[in-house]
Amino acid sequence: MRWLLLIFYVGSSYATDTLYLYNWNNYISNATVARFEARCGCKLVRDYYADNEEMLAKLAAGASGYDLIVPTGNAVEALLRSNQLRPLDKTKLNNLGNLKPEFLNAFFDPGNRYSVPYAYTVTLLGYNVEKLRALNLPTDTWALIFEPRYLEKLKGRVTVLDSQRELMAAALRYLGYSANDADETKWQQARDLILRAKPYWAAFNASSYIKELTVGNIWLAHGYSSDMFQARADAEKAGRPFHIGYSIPREGAVLALDSMVLHKTGRQPELALRFIDFMLEGPNSAELTNLIGSGNPNQAAMRYIDARFFQTNADNRAVFPDASAMRRLEMLRDLDRKQRRVLNRIWTEIKLR
Amino acid sequence: MSETKDNRLARWAITAPPTLFLLAFFLVPALIVVLASFQYPGEFGGLAPLFDHGDGREHGLTLENYRFFASDFLFTEIFLRSFAVATASTLICLVMAYPVAWLIARSPKRHRDLLVLLVILPFASNFLIRVYAWMIILGPQAALARMFNGVLGAFGLEPVSLLFSPFAVLVGMVYVHLPFMILPLYTNLEKHDPVLLDAAQDLGANAWQRFWRVTWSLSLPGVFSGSALVFIPVLGMFAIPDILGGTRDMLIGNLIKDQFLGVRDWPFGATLSIVLTLCVLALAGFAAWAGKARRGGA
Amino acid sequence: MRKLPLWLQLAAAATFAFLYLPLVVVVAYSFNDSRLNAEWVGFTLDWYRVLFADEEMLLAARNSLFIALVSSLCATLLGTLAGLAIHRYRPRWLPLLVITPVAMPEILLGVSLLVFFIQVLHLTLGLLSVVLAHITFSIGFVAIIVRARLAGMDESIFEAARDLGASPWATFRLVTFPLILPAVVAGFLMSFTLSIDDFVITFFTAGVGVSTLPLQIYSMIKIAVTPEVNAVSTLLMLLTLVLVIVASRLDKSFMKGGA
Repeated sequence: MRWLLLIFYVGSSYATDTLYLYNWNNYISNATVARFEARCGCKLVRDYYADNEEMLAKLAAGASGYDLIVPTGNAVEALLRSNQLRPLDKTKLNNLGNLKPEFLNAFFDPGNRYSVPYAYTVTLLGYNVEKLRALNLPTDTWALIFEPRYLEKLKGRVTVLDSQRELMAAALRYLGYSANDADETKWQQARDLILRAKPYWAAFNASSYIKELTVGNIWLAHGYSSDMFQARADAEKAGRPFHIGYSIPREGAVLALDSMVLHKTGRQPELALRFIDFMLEGPNSAELTNLIGSGNPNQAAMRYIDARFFQTNADNRAVFPDASAMRRLEMLRDLDRKQRRVLNRIWTEIKLR
Repeated sequence: MSETKDNRLARWAITAPPTLFLLAFFLVPALIVVLASFQYPGEFGGLAPLFDHGDGREHGLTLENYRFFASDFLFTEIFLRSFAVATASTLICLVMAYPVAWLIARSPKRHRDLLVLLVILPFASNFLIRVYAWMIILGPQAALARMFNGVLGAFGLEPVSLLFSPFAVLVGMVYVHLPFMILPLYTNLEKHDPVLLDAAQDLGANAWQRFWRVTWSLSLPGVFSGSALVFIPVLGMFAIPDILGGTRDMLIGNLIKDQFLGVRDWPFGATLSIVLTLCVLALAGFAAWAGKARRGGA
Repeated sequence: MRKLPLWLQLAAAATFAFLYLPLVVVVAYSFNDSRLNAEWVGFTLDWYRVLFADEEMLLAARNSLFIALVSSLCATLLGTLAGLAIHRYRPRWLPLLVITPVAMPEILLGVSLLVFFIQVLHLTLGLLSVVLAHITFSIGFVAIIVRARLAGMDESIFEAARDLGASPWATFRLVTFPLILPAVVAGFLMSFTLSIDDFVITFFTAGVGVSTLPLQIYSMIKIAVTPEVNAVSTLLMLLTLVLVIVASRLDKSFMKGGA
């Protein structure tokens, strides 16, 4: 029995100064973590979530003790409006000026009193370059996943995100509406569009499309820019006879801006602020982009980012959209409870039919 | 004197610990769920308050969630489909598990523990990684799909995808729950007295009669408990349809998960699971009643 | 001992093949020289090297093992008692109390236990909250299997033992327990695998900084579940095998020594 006690002991031993970061997995480089721990003389303990909603559900039930969280815009809105966040002491954030102005003052937190932009992704289309070229298909329109005339050539080779908001956003943009349009008749139009296209899709997929694209089972996937970056890198590394490309559909798409926020129940707000300031330094912020191909809202980071991100092609325009592409990107807003229930029924119908 | 002090003590020592533990750690959470099903959803997730905070927000109790469930046949349809999948999974598990359980029960005593261990060993690896292994096995590049589509092609039929299909979901469900059928069956079959079979043989029963009249009918408690341990968890499972399913494979587990990890509608999630739990308990009650009636009639 | 007919032996072998086919893939891919769990590229030991350098993953594995052992031991004890109680004393409410946690969708159990721990018990989440939650959902599985073993058992042997003057404890130790032992072992194995595999309930009940293997692995799902997970799974299976074999040896020598 002694070894059981030993496990218990080791499992529950904590360093004195510990910062608890609740983050997406693989959303900070290990090298960055090691540098921060060396600088602060503390320990950074990471807990993970794979979806904003997981984190929100856990916190809504009353879980506590997280110092820092990195939610997406609409989740920041939900946390902020349910009074769970601690205002930032900006006098402690010397590097705040490094941020690009277009990523400040987002709808969910005007004046950035609670949140500091961390990184962003765009929800877009990733594709097998050679296949789509051979089939003579365009690559920059949502019509690819919604129009039967294109889908006929791609039957069973397409996956879309298993996310109500993201898929509805794509359909709404394709129909010429805002991704945040919550009008029920427009949602019904989007539903009809989706139901017409659904027989051609292989699956609703949130987890394995990177892999399926890389192996060549899937030729077209609706997903996040950082995931497509990963798929492209994996395909290259594995020496596949094809390439993975990605581009922002011309009808417009969703921009997900993830920000660092302090949770009220955190015990180390000072240390958390030091972490935020540390992450605002150019080299540290750039390290994340170089690792996972996420968009970077930090001006000072730009010169530390790999040169390959600045070759002109559609892929890079998706990581660093130009001004005209930026205008076509929208951040998702949170829905109120009545809207959520309407969408719930529509989504269930989409899944069942 | 019907009960000695010793026996009263024994009864208390056996019944109290599990009862107290479950009362403490399950009854209260279950009541929370029941209460939640009568509450309004919170504006940003969680639950709306029970009492008025004077801020004009909805509060208190409501039947709205149950009304929402009844308002659209859609939800009932998902229930029916899930029960169909659970029934199919249970039957397939039963057919696949019975020979294994029987084989282990008839093996020499010293081999039995090892065989039981062999049944459970694959389940010491991680769930997700096992399901991923099925993605590889069912994938379009793998031998299985090629062979299957080769056969279809020979009959001039279109190739189909094995992965992302109801078939894949069923394979996953059966795979994950198979040990929960094998083990109860085995522990039941293991205690059967071979003398009964000899007697039946002496009375002129053929192999089939010996199985049906003796082995099968004695193993019914094992069949029932194995079926319960497969049927019930299949109903709540969402990961397998999520990963292996295609575009029409939503089950009740997915719908309930969506309420917590999608639309933040806890009260409706609670409502759905109360309806589900009641259905399951009603079925279990019916099975117990049918079992009793059967024994009573025999 | 009666032998099964050949075709039934073959059917049993087929089921074993079905159980082990994915396992072959899991183990083989832990040596696969590709980040993706998707196709065979070539042999490498890199993933084991990665694993042994990954403190987070090792700590999570240790937590998982600890939680699984403690919770399945407790659940086996409580579940066995529940099965015995239901069989012998036919209490009215215990069966309902035992089967409902099995019937309740795990996400509901997870969320409601979390609300209960925090808002009713004011417990700080940690390893303990996870262990309590795992015991709660495992008891039913053990009770059901023990109950199935006892069903139809001839009551006269218990009575005979009692008539011979055995105390309830002696009756239990010498008669009842050996009779239900296979079900107890099976129940333990079931709760062990339920615990070591559980994601949903663990996600909700784990405290800050407490990670288990499933938590660690599910968070990788969006990026890639790398063969490092196959490696840790392979080792976990080996460890389980060794533990069980050692335990059964000890058990036997203990029995011999004690007898």
